[in-house]
Amino acid sequence: MLKQILNLTLIQHTIRTATPLILAALGGLLTEHAGMLNIGMEGIILLGSFFGVLGSYFFGSSLAGVLLAGLVGLIVGLIFAIFVIDLKSDEFIVGIAINIFAGGLTVFLLRSIFGVKGAFSSPNIIPLPRLNLPGISSIPFLDIIFNNHTVFIYISWIFVIMTYIYLYKTPYGIWLRAAGEYPEALETAGVSFRRMKYIASIACGILCGFAGSHLSLGYLTLFTENMSANRGFIALAAIIFGRANPIKTFGAALMFGFFDALGIRLQVVGVPSQFTQMIPYVATIVALFILTRRQLTKRKRDSEKQFK
Amino acid sequence: MGDKLIQVRNVSKRFPGVLANDRVNLDIERGEIHAIIGENGAGKSTLMNIIYGLYEPTEGEILFEGKPIEIKSPLDAINLGIGMVHQHFMLLPSFTVAENIVLGTEPRRNRIFMDFKEAVLETQQLSETYGLRVDPYRKVGSLSVGIQQRIEILKVLYKGADILILDEPTAVLTPQETEDLFGVIRNLVEDLGKTVIIITHKLQEVLAISHRVSVMRQGKMVGTLNTKDADERVLAEMMVGREVLFEELHKVELPKEEVLSVDGIRARDNRHLMALDGVSFNLRAGEILGIAGVEGNGQTELVEVLTGLRKMEEGTLTIKGVDAFNRTPREIRKLGIAHIPEDRLATGLSREATIWENLLMGVQHMEPYAIWGIHMNKGKIRERTARLIEEFDIRTPTGDILAGSLSGGNMQKMIIAREFSFNTPILIVAQPTRGIDVGAIEFVHKQIVEKRNAGTAILLVSADLDEIFRLSDRILTLYEGRITGEFLSGEISKREIGLYMTGKHMDSIERGGAYEQ
Amino acid sequence: MNSRFSSEDLEYIVSLTLSIAVSLIMGALIMIANGRSPMVGYGALIRGAFGGKYSIANTLAKTVPLALTGLATAISFRSGIFNIGGEGQLYLGAFAAAYVGITFTALPKGLGMLLAILAGALVGGLYAYVPGFLKVKYKIDEVITTIMLNTVAVLFTSYLVNYPFAPAAGKLNATEIISEQFHLSRLIRLSTLNTSIFFMGFIALFMYYLMEKTSAGYDFKLVGQNSLFARFGGIDDRKQMLIAMVISGSLCGLAGVFEVLGVHYRFLQHISPGYAWDGMLVALIVKNNPIGVMIMSIFFGALKTGSIAMENATSIPSELVLVIQSIIILFIAGERGFKDKFKEWNLRRRVGQKAGERNA
Repeated sequence: MLKQILNLTLIQHTIRTATPLILAALGGLLTEHAGMLNIGMEGIILLGSFFGVLGSYFFGSSLAGVLLAGLVGLIVGLIFAIFVIDLKSDEFIVGIAINIFAGGLTVFLLRSIFGVKGAFSSPNIIPLPRLNLPGISSIPFLDIIFNNHTVFIYISWIFVIMTYIYLYKTPYGIWLRAAGEYPEALETAGVSFRRMKYIASIACGILCGFAGSHLSLGYLTLFTENMSANRGFIALAAIIFGRANPIKTFGAALMFGFFDALGIRLQVVGVPSQFTQMIPYVATIVALFILTRRQLTKRKRDSEKQFK
Repeated sequence: MGDKLIQVRNVSKRFPGVLANDRVNLDIERGEIHAIIGENGAGKSTLMNIIYGLYEPTEGEILFEGKPIEIKSPLDAINLGIGMVHQHFMLLPSFTVAENIVLGTEPRRNRIFMDFKEAVLETQQLSETYGLRVDPYRKVGSLSVGIQQRIEILKVLYKGADILILDEPTAVLTPQETEDLFGVIRNLVEDLGKTVIIITHKLQEVLAISHRVSVMRQGKMVGTLNTKDADERVLAEMMVGREVLFEELHKVELPKEEVLSVDGIRARDNRHLMALDGVSFNLRAGEILGIAGVEGNGQTELVEVLTGLRKMEEGTLTIKGVDAFNRTPREIRKLGIAHIPEDRLATGLSREATIWENLLMGVQHMEPYAIWGIHMNKGKIRERTARLIEEFDIRTPTGDILAGSLSGGNMQKMIIAREFSFNTPILIVAQPTRGIDVGAIEFVHKQIVEKRNAGTAILLVSADLDEIFRLSDRILTLYEGRITGEFLSGEISKREIGLYMTGKHMDSIERGGAYEQ
Repeated sequence: MNSRFSSEDLEYIVSLTLSIAVSLIMGALIMIANGRSPMVGYGALIRGAFGGKYSIANTLAKTVPLALTGLATAISFRSGIFNIGGEGQLYLGAFAAAYVGITFTALPKGLGMLLAILAGALVGGLYAYVPGFLKVKYKIDEVITTIMLNTVAVLFTSYLVNYPFAPAAGKLNATEIISEQFHLSRLIRLSTLNTSIFFMGFIALFMYYLMEKTSAGYDFKLVGQNSLFARFGGIDDRKQMLIAMVISGSLCGLAGVFEVLGVHYRFLQHISPGYAWDGMLVALIVKNNPIGVMIMSIFFGALKTGSIAMENATSIPSELVLVIQSIIILFIAGERGFKDKFKEWNLRRRVGQKAGERNA
């Protein structure tokens, strides 16, 4: 039984389930660094899932689906930015509004465009292509772990590295972080903090849109109501768990993906999956608790040193 | 000195409800040190923010080297060679010194990557050129205020500024640090041909450093004069608009019974550094005890400890014979202390609450304002509100408007009305007249002395030495968290007390070695 | 001093009315885009919500959970601590009531009901206490923790109904039906409106009195506005926040209790379609004013009920109202910003005019 649960396909599934989390979390950590928290990520993922299917169905191309999902994400990210940055709205109210909007709009459109309730599936929805790396298909372990994935999985990994370089190795990344830490300081240095915040918010929207399209076009080609199923919040958890560092957040997303994949398998053999599903949420609270405690004690120790 | 570099022509800036600058004119000449003085709220910072492109003027124009220009953002200002050191430093605490200095115009590799090595190198070069020593690798958050100011100046110079605007640069500096800064400014102007605009409200500084001085009052430019033609009296009159003649305050002598004593208090500030290092003193009924000191030497923490807002690590606090070690603010109030806080917006009131709600704080659970401690008795509350508004001359049509819409002086009167109405035996008064107009200052001073004459023990903390000298019966000097001197009123001059406020007296009695300079 | 509304309040009511009007117009445009007549659509909606005893009963039935969770949000937000975990508290409160209802079947009617209500309130309150405690003691952001705890509660109750409390008949994603004496009586035939509306009315009055008329209400408000000032003035701000959080959690728990005792008579795995989120929106729209919460709850309740009728009459999907609701929220969230931009623009225009006059 154990062998049935812990095998190589578990790793493969982990990578699959983690991918939307990674994409969304990367977007979210950009806004986090820019000093905004977008709990509307959940809603943007949902919109991305729907419009991914819509684009793929009508244009007969999965790329069109992904682009449409990204475009919708861009628009929502832009709206979030306008309200939070220029109209000085409470970011989390706007986030909640986005979530409710997404929940309502997707179902509304599902019914008025496709005329179905609950779920929409059709052979006309073109899924994302799978990639088989020729070099490793003959190597038994690597073949199962790394092959037969959508392109997006590899792209998401590249995004992780790019985000890291962007944030810590380029002036633009410094500006973005400065916009979050002390916007006036950036403004007086001659760089518009508004622009940096807009960039972060829009990038977050696009990435969440991609994440959604990967849900609906990646392995299953269908849209169901409330398809995002809390992934936006898990991505948020990954960001907090990884302290908004792209590499660590990537790790956290993989870990949460692993527990998700594990939970599904455990359920098959009759173990309740609810507890494995809880892990990201509980882990985040524990992480927050440990982080703040450590911060408090560390600061105390530092000052002791200074006064010796 | 020579040609006109910047000319401000009839510039106005209107914020919703406030006319911050009213048709202001100003000429800045190349190679001069130009001081701009005025009371808080006179519009100095607004004007400078307009020149630096942070605010757009509502009306008027700015000429640069004789040509009209529009400065729409700091970037435009930087490109014109204008740099500004803000009153609140514009530094990123979690970034290194080098990263802060090059922010916005970073050296790059392959056009997109930040060149950290080059940033450090340039920082070192800059620091040598101008004789402003900094460690490029340190995180800014861990550095002292004086060093942070150096970084700000280097930052401006790195951007190639020829015109430096310094907004209240000495507010947070000790006299020694101020002297150093003035040395740097003279060097910049005399040896390197830069132009400096310095904003301040300290008259002595103006006379010490500037070539010309412009005075602002209530958003208007009163006039510009050559510093050598000016003296403190002339400038003060221009600043406040009339000759300042404070009435002599009438004080009566009373039997002095000790009501509060502190012994060996040690407490840390928000950064966990030791801010109070063994403070001891006592306070007696019917006296005003002034605490003099340069800001940031533990005054804030002292007041917070005495009022229960901050925990102390060691020491004793006794209020009317009762041990009050680390009590809550509520318990301390019950023991008989009322408190005018130094930061009235942060601690003294709620801007979103009405005046009557702000005045109610502290008695909201008491009869007759709360029936059985539960139901708010609006009638009685209204009566009290009306009485306090009248008695303390709070200028408002009604008690139902939001406190946030009051002027600074009226906000302060509202806080004083509330705290004085408790009739506590002890009052702790911090920076009571900061940022309020002259008329209100006079009113506040009279109220404080009246309380004293009625037998209240008053601890007065103020950064304004004139205020300390005017009101206090006894003065303590606080330096780096310790009491460095105690004097009776009239026993010491302002000049002398300055030495105690800066630890300099230590040198004369050869204990200087115990302190690092 | 005599007027009931200050000018800020009036200004806000105007903004609110405008926001709702614009959102409804946008809803109408969506209907037109779908080839439906907005007159017919909104007509059906209004009839469905208020046309007749049955419709009004349904609207009021929907109002109960909205008002309770709305009041829960109002008290916590007003006190400066943000309970976004209402959904989780609602689930646990509902389950607690169901547990009492299937376990203590021997209790007499009144006592049993009281026990179920208290259990739900207590469980909801305790579940809110945890993030509240983490916030005041360790400064851990309660927005994040409550969001996370929502899902934990939903998953935990889902586990309970599928494993330890699965009915004998097999997994139904629900518990057994609670014992007869725990059922709240229905008031109108065929409608789920039940006596919980009276409980809600009583709670609403109590909350209004607490928040607006008492010294404790004053403390809550001042802590929320400026906690440092409150502490300075002698209020224990941390305790006050914690109390607000627990009250808030209890109210959400009660919302769950009434869903079980009054509507479903059992705990369902998906017992709430996001009532706590809707309730939060209700409170946000009216800036945490308890009277406003009641009015808005009825409005939102009517939208929900009416939308079903609208769907039946015109086949416009009922989810349209969710879209309308979210647009209202968005406008309200930007209200301050819109107003400032408008004033700024107005100022510029006036100055421009004046300059023009002078030049002329």
